[in-house]
Amino acid sequence: MRWVIALALLTSTATVSAHHSFGVAFDATKTVNLTGTITRIDWTNPHTHVYVDVKDASGKVVNWKLEGYPPNVLERTGWKKDVTIKVGDRITFFGWPARDGTPYAHLREATLASGQKLYFGPPAGTGEGPAVAR
Amino acid sequence: MRTVMIVMSCVVVTSVAMAQTNVQPAPKAPDGKPDLTGVYQASPRRGGWDAEAPGDEPGVAAQRRPGDVAALTSDPIPFRPEARARAQELLNRRSIDDPASHCIFIASPRITGVGLFPVQIVQTPTQVVILYEYLWTHRVIPIGTKHPDDMSPSFMGDSVGHWEGSTFVVDVVGFKPGGWLTGGLVTSDALHLTERYTRVDRDQLTYEVTLDDPKVLTKPFTQRTTLMLREGARLREYSCPENNMDPAVYEKLLKDPATFQRTPGK
Repeated sequence: MRWVIALALLTSTATVSAHHSFGVAFDATKTVNLTGTITRIDWTNPHTHVYVDVKDASGKVVNWKLEGYPPNVLERTGWKKDVTIKVGDRITFFGWPARDGTPYAHLREATLASGQKLYFGPPAGTGEGPAVAR
Repeated sequence: MRTVMIVMSCVVVTSVAMAQTNVQPAPKAPDGKPDLTGVYQASPRRGGWDAEAPGDEPGVAAQRRPGDVAALTSDPIPFRPEARARAQELLNRRSIDDPASHCIFIASPRITGVGLFPVQIVQTPTQVVILYEYLWTHRVIPIGTKHPDDMSPSFMGDSVGHWEGSTFVVDVVGFKPGGWLTGGLVTSDALHLTERYTRVDRDQLTYEVTLDDPKVLTKPFTQRTTLMLREGARLREYSCPENNMDPAVYEKLLKDPATFQRTPGK
């Protein structure tokens, strides 16, 4: 038993970052949860982007740029280009905003007009990696 | 007699374990070798495609389930002091300098362990071909040959393989310096990988790699990944440079580094 514990201490679960670290551009300590109208969809690599017009409390419209998985990952989980979402659709999105304060966010969960909820991007911190070189 | 008893015990234990979890034996190739052919995902779970195991709440990963295996584990990285300092500097910059964010190929084990994207293995008696959806790249691994004399440094190195019992062992050398692996490890041209692929049963292929790089490490160390068979999954094109906006984002962030730099330990 002792050697099993020793082995567990010696090894650690490692993280594997994909295209880029989450923490480069996004702030996991803040969240955004907004509803708006889709104005553009870029079904492209290395990330899919959805642009959404959101009206704020004063009535001013802000166009948010939302980043998510690449198309191959979305399609494996049931998304279909120009079917699941289209320009003009209403969408509610949950995610984490850009560090620079611009209307740019990492989109995690999309709630479609039908009420269906789908993941559009990975959880916060995926690919973040350790803070300390071990 | 004692050996026979131990072997019989192992057979019984293995048979019971297989019966309990419906584990099928690893398939054999026509030449009698274990057949590695298949589409796999780095994942702790058997079954269909594992869509990164989301939890009930956005941003919260699901709890591991009974029967899950560790998808990826690593021994501590035995950095040389200067390599550790370099790694810390890069992590403080939140890996903004990572070549992968510029769509440049990355070596195994990193490319093998990205569970969002499948890996396809095609085995013949004379070579094993590994196709990676991530970065849309591949490795052709001849069996029973030496590294070529005219090898030139590359991002993914030059691979040659041989069989050791039921394990396919791959020797990889000839890397360009500056490759990025996990944990801020930036490798040199002295990187030498010894990879071991073992299809332990029909669904599960274990990947173990020993990394040696005397210019940045004090000694070799080992990482392990479990690749699970994903029937029905297929590789889909991943044209990374198509619309890569990240360099522009980084350029903007670099004008105010405080917006993305982090403190060691946080």
